[in-house]
Amino acid sequence: MRSTRPEHKRWSVLSAPLVRTSLWLLGIALVCVWLADLQIRSTAPWSELARFGRGLIQPDFATFDTAIVALTRTLAFAFTGVGAAAVLGMGLALIFHYRVVRIFCAFVRSIHELFWALIFLQFFGLHPITGVLAIALPYAATFGRVYSEILEEGDRGAVEALSAHSGLISIFWYARVPDLWAHLTSYTSYRFECGMRSSAVLGFVGMPTLGFYLESSYAEGQYGEVGMILLIFLITIGSLRLWLRPKLVVLYLLAAPFLLGAGLPIVWGNATRFFTVDIIPSPLRNGEGVAGLASWLGDLLLYQALPGIGTTLVLTQIALVGTGIVALLTFPLISRLFVDRFRQVPGHGLLIIGRSVPEYLLAYILLQLWGPSMLPAAVALVIHNGAIIGHLIGRQSSTLRLRPDVVGGFNCYTYEVVPRLYRSFLSFLLYRWEIIMRETAILGILGITTLGFYVDSAIQELRFDRALVLIFITALLNIGVDSLARTIRWQLRLRTTPAKLEAV
Amino acid sequence: MKFFWRAFALNLLLILHVHAGVLVFTAIPDEDESKLKERFGPMSEYLSKTLDIEVRYVPVKSYAAAVSAFRNGQVQLAWFGALSGVQARSTVLNSQALAQGVEDQAFWTYLIAHKSTGLKAGDVIDKSMRGMTMTFGSKSSTSGRLIPEFYLTERFGESPDKVFERVGYSGNHSRTLRLVESGSYDIGAINYAVWERELAAGNIDTDEVKVIWKTPAYPNYQWSIRGDVDGQFGAGFSDKVKAALLAMDDPKLLQSFARSAFIPAQNSDYAPIKRTAKQVGLID
Amino acid sequence: MSPLILNQAYADFGGTRVLGPISLHVQPGEHIALVGRSGAGKTTLLSLLYDRRRSDITFIPQTLGLVDTLSVFHNVYMGQLATHSGAYNLINLIRPFRTQIRAVTAVLEQLDMASTLWSRVGELSGGQRQRVAVARSLFQDADVLLADEPVSALDGPRSEAVMQALIKQNTTTIIAMHDLDLARRYANRLIGIQDGTIALDAPSRAVNTHDLDALY
Repeated sequence: MRSTRPEHKRWSVLSAPLVRTSLWLLGIALVCVWLADLQIRSTAPWSELARFGRGLIQPDFATFDTAIVALTRTLAFAFTGVGAAAVLGMGLALIFHYRVVRIFCAFVRSIHELFWALIFLQFFGLHPITGVLAIALPYAATFGRVYSEILEEGDRGAVEALSAHSGLISIFWYARVPDLWAHLTSYTSYRFECGMRSSAVLGFVGMPTLGFYLESSYAEGQYGEVGMILLIFLITIGSLRLWLRPKLVVLYLLAAPFLLGAGLPIVWGNATRFFTVDIIPSPLRNGEGVAGLASWLGDLLLYQALPGIGTTLVLTQIALVGTGIVALLTFPLISRLFVDRFRQVPGHGLLIIGRSVPEYLLAYILLQLWGPSMLPAAVALVIHNGAIIGHLIGRQSSTLRLRPDVVGGFNCYTYEVVPRLYRSFLSFLLYRWEIIMRETAILGILGITTLGFYVDSAIQELRFDRALVLIFITALLNIGVDSLARTIRWQLRLRTTPAKLEAV
Repeated sequence: MKFFWRAFALNLLLILHVHAGVLVFTAIPDEDESKLKERFGPMSEYLSKTLDIEVRYVPVKSYAAAVSAFRNGQVQLAWFGALSGVQARSTVLNSQALAQGVEDQAFWTYLIAHKSTGLKAGDVIDKSMRGMTMTFGSKSSTSGRLIPEFYLTERFGESPDKVFERVGYSGNHSRTLRLVESGSYDIGAINYAVWERELAAGNIDTDEVKVIWKTPAYPNYQWSIRGDVDGQFGAGFSDKVKAALLAMDDPKLLQSFARSAFIPAQNSDYAPIKRTAKQVGLID
Repeated sequence: MSPLILNQAYADFGGTRVLGPISLHVQPGEHIALVGRSGAGKTTLLSLLYDRRRSDITFIPQTLGLVDTLSVFHNVYMGQLATHSGAYNLINLIRPFRTQIRAVTAVLEQLDMASTLWSRVGELSGGQRQRVAVARSLFQDADVLLADEPVSALDGPRSEAVMQALIKQNTTTIIAMHDLDLARRYANRLIGIQDGTIALDAPSRAVNTHDLDALY
């Protein structure tokens, strides 16, 4: 037997690989906090917040009919976009084993739906197709990846039992789909909920959804109206399970395209112009040749991309760790292990609100209240993502079976529950890393100098060549973080399929 | 299932259906939306009655969206600021500035400051504002960004993002006013017409915020029309629209624009703005 | 300690009676072995007893209740969570205290487990895991022990060691087990459960093989 002198190699949780990874992330985030600008700018942030709070408590229903129209549009965009994405995504999933398809999907997915909307606005203009495609494209790429993962995990036994002459399509529908149907639909309905949020946010760039009215009401300080809009949005998402029934979905999908609103007619020449003129780098357009292109690109990288990347990374890391902390602090609120069923209600309410309100919208609201700095953006990201992960691990904790003589409260939290959940917690968090970064970049449109700020500026100045380069860089950054997260998950042997993680 | 997807595809085609024969116009969202509706609702009624065709106003969320809609031919007519007008017309062949307000011949921008800055009104830009925070309006606004940025750069010898601790873009003039009034920003650049109208309406707390500097005069807002409308709506259509704009004399309508009357304008009126925008680096 | 008493106690599960009514009197100093076929109700009886009173009882459930991601040290230490403040426990989680390491090592040595002090429980074998749960219970230092098959995964000499340690540590023990030989040697009272009721209750000296066989 080995002779060991345990006293001399004291083990602590800090040396566990999972915890060490977390500590690295925490350390990086602390450096980022030091680098970041997290001041509250406005002189009376709390009185304004209180005024806003009163608006939420006393919603003003005077413009209820406008809001209902906007809600219908929001639903219509979500159904049409996500519906089209599901069909496309299933197609992509079937050919996902081709490397080129995987790369294509990763790229399309790494561009946020608001960026897609800004691109499509240039050639379809304010036509519903802009909003539909902005949702459908990135969602299809996500569906492609997740569906293919679901298909991979499924049992292939039935397929092998069938005659090889049954035809690929028939085999697919008979031997694969029925088996995985529940898994596929639960993931798809989860993504539909995301689609509702995306759809609402598209209002901020001019689509006739809830975001459009919310932005106007908010900008004018009509907090009662804002409260009303938020309320009907929350109720709609909160009651999703009641009205999103399989049979009704068919009806919804058929009706949705008719309810998108008319918008403005499409002028097809614009699409050609976009590809042949707008996105050609201006030095090439003006005949300045390769030398001109190099200095143009150099300036763009040095003065816009680089500072944008810096801010994006700083904010992402802060938001990531903040998300983790909030999730760990809030999950006991909805866990059977800490709170009885009745007292879980407020916790559930809090987390539902947190995860239903899109971070873009939260960031917009907080920016107006606290003035411009990274703080509102970080808080918005942390609230939204923290509530999502808190909800997931809270639910998971309720399924834990502890020994009967376990001590309760804080000791139970630190010794029994968190150690058991830490694996899936970290796995959720690493999975959301890329999502948080994509969202961080987009928050730049609101005035924080992440990459989105420079993209928005380029578009405001009608310099689509620059905008496209910057969007491309944003996409690469996302793909980079995604593969880093994957590597870490793989090294820590954490579960990797997002389908499992999200649709728990 | 097949039927279902076919119906779905058909639906998608249906919404691509195009309708013509309607004059659609937009405007840069330089103020709160309720103000814009108050102004452009009656405006479209007026144009519809005078021109005897269907007229529709489309609100947009950003200056760029207004310019893009004009450039993309989704709107034929637009109420632009000087810079957005220059940007828009440079992308559409034969498009022209039709009319401007009397006030737009000589327009000003005010620099306003929160009382906590201690800045006083003066004839030159007070150099002690270095290191404070500053908000412009929209990124593509003439009065809210281009002109003040130009004069600030001239005065300090470097661009505002180097002069100030922080530079923000509020989005529009109403918001600039509120942000400086609340102290979220120390200094703001605001269109003088918005300031004067809000002041007259008693909407400004002058204990909290006041004007500290006024730019030299420059040409600003104008109605611009696409070059292809005559082909679309019949020969002489743009002249008809121009005449309608110039003949507008409803005091309530004029007041909603904060203009006393509309007078003819042409593209060359905005040449100085184009030069300034190039200097500041907003257009290539 | 005061006697442990069950009076006409019963347990229903999903509408059907799985145990009882049972009356049972346990005096301090008694070492009881619960025997009977699996499914007879031993586990249910243990949890009924456990539900009576908690503060001076330590329990080793059949599922062990270990935290796989934590070290053996921490799992054993968890027996004394209730005697320290939350802050002390949190610090000990991050940086174990020397005194606690010594105390836990002492307990593990009795079970021949000292070398695994810093292993993660998830990496241990079934028998080692069982001994960690035993160590946790020993470390808790309670008067009464309730244990559900604590030596089922251990070989002969090891199970002897564990039984000795358990009997030595606790004034009163009630242990469910299927090794009848072991039961007779370590318990001074045998209780046989059959179909949810007590079919046999006698001093272990007085019980013969025939009586026991009737239970199975």
